[in-house]
Amino acid sequence: MKRYVYINDDEASRQQLYCVNRISNRKYTVLNFLPKNLWEQFSRFMNQYFLLIACLQLWSLITPVNPASTWGPLIFIFAVSATKEAWDDYNRYLSDKKANEKEVWVVRQGIKKHIQAQDIHVGNIVWLRENDEVPCDLVLMGTSDPQGLCYIETSALDGETDLKTRVIPSACMGIDFELLHKIKGLVECPNPDKDIRRFDANLRLFPPFLDNDVCPLTIKNTILQSCYLRNTEWACGVAVYTGNETKLGMSRGIPEPKLTAVDAMIDKLTGAIFVFQIVVVMVLGIAGNVWKDTEARKQWYVQYPDKGPWYELLVIPLRFELLCSIMIPISIKVSLDLVKSLYAKFIDWDNEMIDLETGIPSHATNTAISEDLGQVEYILTDKTGTLTENRMIFRRCCISGIFYGNESGDALKDVELLNAIASSSTHVIHFLTIMAICNTVVPIKSKSGAISYKAQSQDEDALVNAAARLHMVYANKNGNILEIRFHGLIIQYEILETLEFTSDRKRMSVVVKDCQNGKILLLSKGADEAILPCASAGQQTRTFVDAVEQYAQLGLRTLCLAWRELKENEYREWSFMFKEASSTLVDREWRIAEVCQRLEHNLEVLGVTAIEDRLQDGVPETIETLRKAGINFWMLTGDKQNTAIQIALSCNFISPEPKGQLLLIDGKTEDEVCRSLERVLLTMRSTFSQPKDVAFVVDGWALEIALRHHWEAFTELATLSRTAICCRVTPSQKAQLVELLKSCDYRTLAIGDGGNDVRMIQQADIGVGISGREGLQAARAADYSIGKFRFLKRLILVHGRYSYNRTAFLSQYSFYKSLLICFIQIFFSFISGVSGTSLFNSVSLMAYNVFYTSIPVLVSVLDKDLNEETVMQHPQILFYCQAGRLLNPSTFAGWFGRSLFHAIVVFVISINAYAYEKSEMEELSMVALSGCIWLQAFVVALETNSFTKLQHLAIWGNLIAFYIINWMFSALPSSGMYTIMFRLCRQPSYWITVFLIVAAGMGPILALKYFRYTYRPSKINILQQAERRGGPILSLGSIEPLQARTIEEDVSPLSITQPKNRNPVYEPLLSDSPNSTRRSFGSGTPFDFFQSQRLSSYSRNCKDN
Amino acid sequence: MEVDGASTSNGGASTSNGRANGGRSRRTAFDLFKQQQLPACKPVLTPVWVITAFMLIGSIFIPLGLVTLHASRSVVEIVYRYDAECVPKAFRGNKVSYIKNGSIPKNCYRSLKVHKHMKAPIYIYYQLDNYYQNHRRYIKSRSDQQLLHGHAHYDTSSCQPEEYNNGLPIVPCGLIAWSLFNDTFTFIRGRAELKVNRKNIAWESDRDHKFGKKVYPINFQNGTLIGGAKLDPDIPLHDQEDLIVWMRTSALPSFRKLYGRIEEDLEADDVVFVTLMNNYNTYSFGGKKKLVLSTTGWLGGKNDFLGAACIFVGSSSIILSIVFMLLHVKYRR
Repeated sequence: MKRYVYINDDEASRQQLYCVNRISNRKYTVLNFLPKNLWEQFSRFMNQYFLLIACLQLWSLITPVNPASTWGPLIFIFAVSATKEAWDDYNRYLSDKKANEKEVWVVRQGIKKHIQAQDIHVGNIVWLRENDEVPCDLVLMGTSDPQGLCYIETSALDGETDLKTRVIPSACMGIDFELLHKIKGLVECPNPDKDIRRFDANLRLFPPFLDNDVCPLTIKNTILQSCYLRNTEWACGVAVYTGNETKLGMSRGIPEPKLTAVDAMIDKLTGAIFVFQIVVVMVLGIAGNVWKDTEARKQWYVQYPDKGPWYELLVIPLRFELLCSIMIPISIKVSLDLVKSLYAKFIDWDNEMIDLETGIPSHATNTAISEDLGQVEYILTDKTGTLTENRMIFRRCCISGIFYGNESGDALKDVELLNAIASSSTHVIHFLTIMAICNTVVPIKSKSGAISYKAQSQDEDALVNAAARLHMVYANKNGNILEIRFHGLIIQYEILETLEFTSDRKRMSVVVKDCQNGKILLLSKGADEAILPCASAGQQTRTFVDAVEQYAQLGLRTLCLAWRELKENEYREWSFMFKEASSTLVDREWRIAEVCQRLEHNLEVLGVTAIEDRLQDGVPETIETLRKAGINFWMLTGDKQNTAIQIALSCNFISPEPKGQLLLIDGKTEDEVCRSLERVLLTMRSTFSQPKDVAFVVDGWALEIALRHHWEAFTELATLSRTAICCRVTPSQKAQLVELLKSCDYRTLAIGDGGNDVRMIQQADIGVGISGREGLQAARAADYSIGKFRFLKRLILVHGRYSYNRTAFLSQYSFYKSLLICFIQIFFSFISGVSGTSLFNSVSLMAYNVFYTSIPVLVSVLDKDLNEETVMQHPQILFYCQAGRLLNPSTFAGWFGRSLFHAIVVFVISINAYAYEKSEMEELSMVALSGCIWLQAFVVALETNSFTKLQHLAIWGNLIAFYIINWMFSALPSSGMYTIMFRLCRQPSYWITVFLIVAAGMGPILALKYFRYTYRPSKINILQQAERRGGPILSLGSIEPLQARTIEEDVSPLSITQPKNRNPVYEPLLSDSPNSTRRSFGSGTPFDFFQSQRLSSYSRNCKDN
Repeated sequence: MEVDGASTSNGGASTSNGRANGGRSRRTAFDLFKQQQLPACKPVLTPVWVITAFMLIGSIFIPLGLVTLHASRSVVEIVYRYDAECVPKAFRGNKVSYIKNGSIPKNCYRSLKVHKHMKAPIYIYYQLDNYYQNHRRYIKSRSDQQLLHGHAHYDTSSCQPEEYNNGLPIVPCGLIAWSLFNDTFTFIRGRAELKVNRKNIAWESDRDHKFGKKVYPINFQNGTLIGGAKLDPDIPLHDQEDLIVWMRTSALPSFRKLYGRIEEDLEADDVVFVTLMNNYNTYSFGGKKKLVLSTTGWLGGKNDFLGAACIFVGSSSIILSIVFMLLHVKYRR
């Protein structure tokens, strides 16, 4: 599949083979907005359900209340989400419009014309000036630079802020400025894709620019949409991809929405309630029909006809269906969406998560998954840039067996090295030359004469800077000619070829020609295992291996430098092959790698550089805290095994011997890997019960084999091990590991900073990107972006935990209040001839869910069960969230029971207190409703752990608002409840009844809660008590130390028992270890059955918190 | 609740924030909200607090219960079930045919003995048991618009099956009006008839705003099936107080409706003779009819439930607080 682009051919572009350059990110148009949006909303089960209920309510025979009581909220909810969608879409439209109507210079019929960007066709030549934004994907044709270079900033595309050089294809080299208007030719390129690092195409120019050769094009010859032209006066290029078919346009896409564990649980509970509702409806429906046939026909005043219509049997069940439909609260989705966006805002606003160096605040891109942060079980982290600062500093080196910088820890200050440079020792000079020029760095001279370097890789930056400080200054790059200043001497090299770095090759080389003596040199640098095997047969590489080993022990990043002199004809021959490989369209990368291999052999290894990458601030503390919180860490890095282990040791990732133990999985063949895997598994199982820190280390090669052939064994290992170090892994392996952990039903969080982490970040339940030095690519793809690794602690322990707790309360409470009123309706049906009469009037029913009960609970987003400091000091407490202790079927059963109990209290007290002459329908219904409102206010108050002014306002203000609203309705003569509320409020019996309901309803709840809190406290309760007593109340000072010790004793078992017992099957049944109920809410295993007793008692402990 | 000094524990965090902001500037409430650092009070369920709370509940509700119970007990009421006894012996076996037979006189004479002094006003209620005014078919069968504005232009489809008769609209329409209670009572003490005030028995708000002054009964109880009482077509609905009372439907299957007031005291051992017209059919569904004479207190009629429940809740709280106190003493930490 290829695309043929005829350059500057007005005929071809008129045929409209390809789309015009109109960008459209819109989801809707004005016409299809309503149907499409409604369709989308109704594809959700909940909405279908509510629509069905609302439609049934239009049938006046069965509706117990005014249809408005469902239609109102439904329309409101739909309007809210539709407005949000419309607003987003409108903003997208505006930004599209702005981009589309931007004026650009395009060649039309040989003349430059100013047209709107949306009118660019494929094949047009587009002219850009400095600082212009590129309107579509272009292949460069000419620039103002005599060498055909131009600089672009690609931050909008990949987030990298450095300038990139782009070069015009060799065929266009030297074409006159004027002639560029008339250029004709053919670009043969693949169909649009979203790979922004790859463009394998060919260019052929037509007469009079005829060139016999087909000129290969790479990504280096393109400038892509949304980049900016910098440091170049002008550039022009031919449009190859336009509109939504550009590389940027293709990579845009709506990511699959992530569903949190809490959401899944809420859906499950909703399903359970739905089933319960159906059962209730069936039972009541049958009872109603039986009652009708036996009793109602005798009640002459009802005038039941002897023969009804055919659907008669259905009428009563359907009425009950409508009556019970409020069991599933219509407001829950809206409230959840609302509080979730507030959680996200809290993350955005958090001052303590602002990176002070750059001033970048944390950001929650995905606003829907904050609860999952509190339930993380595995963190998979990248090393470079995530744990470390990714600020590389050249520290040591080893040149032909001599170690520099070992004493001072800084080779730049090592006198011996300086002496060697001064005496122009050959090896040292070569070494420095490679450091200075074997790279893709661009030196930029500022006006003051100072040289700064634009490098794509931090390692190269460190090497070039270090070389400059060692007097080998990479001064200028002029086309292919490099200038190096060494002790005042200017040495020029001509770059012949660059053999680029890829993560497969793990090395890069340049072929240069020394302009002084015409020698052709191959300069290489790369990872030790990529360079040392290529060393010439005669050379002893022992010392270098030792050096690499030694540096890695210190946690330094090593690179081996090597060189070789090439014969003229050898180079010619190879250059031909290289050119051929570079212009292939299929498998270009692989072909090039193969060709490069032919040159990179027989190298003379010069030495090893060691670059330090310091740990970020607070990394060890963060990892320690999070590990205490029961989160398992896996480190996935592309770095060497030894470096990785050293970093792991220094950041508390693993404990040193004898407490910790590292198990190695290695091997080159399938058998070796299998054997070592089994050995490790055996050790793992045997150390399972000991409080020992066991970690396994695996490298990319062995991992590949293990994942392919020993998936099950490796999965078992993954579940047994709390810590793992995977080194030399590729981006796709990172993603595979995430997948593996997810398939074991663990909540995973992936954190990284670079482009190689993007896949892992997208794959994980939660992706966290560090907006670091490797660009924003990871941060863009992630759900959360933070400035520093240490913010992860706060993100999880504070934001994640609070979000989980709050949502757990909010969702269960929503069900509680709906069930409460529904149970009362059900009870009432038993004294109203099972006929489906609603006790409450339409206004009350509608307002109950929308106003009376939703506002107090919304402020629970401010609730904090424990102070942030306490949580940070006792991270073990996160366990309650991880294990889903606060929202699971058994806590839900507690709320269910509570609503049943409250319904009984309200119902029994109100029908007995308002019996006989007071039993007027409207009055009784308001008494019952008042009872519900009062109870729910007190329930919220009792479940709130910390009261801010807002909470008081919402809870008690809401209660007052209830009366005000009802007084207003009572003042309307046309409303059904005219004067009712005034009458009631004057009756002493009303107030006594309400207080009685509150006392009878809340007394047992309070007693139970107090009993658990004091005599069966959960760990959260213990910390709460400690926090509040150990705080400002100094009169209890004498008890305090004792108190503190008991807390330690109470909490510490958590941390000790945590490392083991991953798998619930190995659990001692009566252990107090929190793991005993760890995963047991996922039903299905027989084990759950035995656990359930313990689970229920345990989880009821925390239910009331 | 016991409060730990407006959360000084947040103080530490806010100072560090202050540093981050570059100095301790006064932060607005919205900033505090954004940082989730609004000053909060954290109530603790301390034993002292909980035990006191339960004690307090107990000490409020027991006296309240006693007062309520006393108020209820001081109400004197006479409840007399007459539905069974007012059926002549010959018809005891088939009460339904008795009540449906219009030719049999429905007069019934009973005497009530007053066992305690009853202070005026004495309310006369009729009580119906096992009567489902709250049945969905029944409760919906009315038209508030028609009651207020007359039959003219309003949709009365909710009134079915008592919407039209012989093609003419019924005012007041619907099952509720159609089944209007039609037993009547007259009271004689000694020789003199007791004056029963039948005015102002309905809610004033209902008369003024729910039942029109110019709406007259039309075509009411003219069908083949006669439900309950007939209405005088010359009196507007506004003044048909029995209807207004009846149309305030009851939420419970057993209810009392006001019939009138006796505005004289009844002395203990007075004997009141009641002449009643036993017209209303409760026999077909086994409902009971009762005549109730009751005085009233500040809580309304006689109803021991509230008082008893208050005492129960109060004493349970006291017991709970004692239990918690014992637990606290035993497991003192």
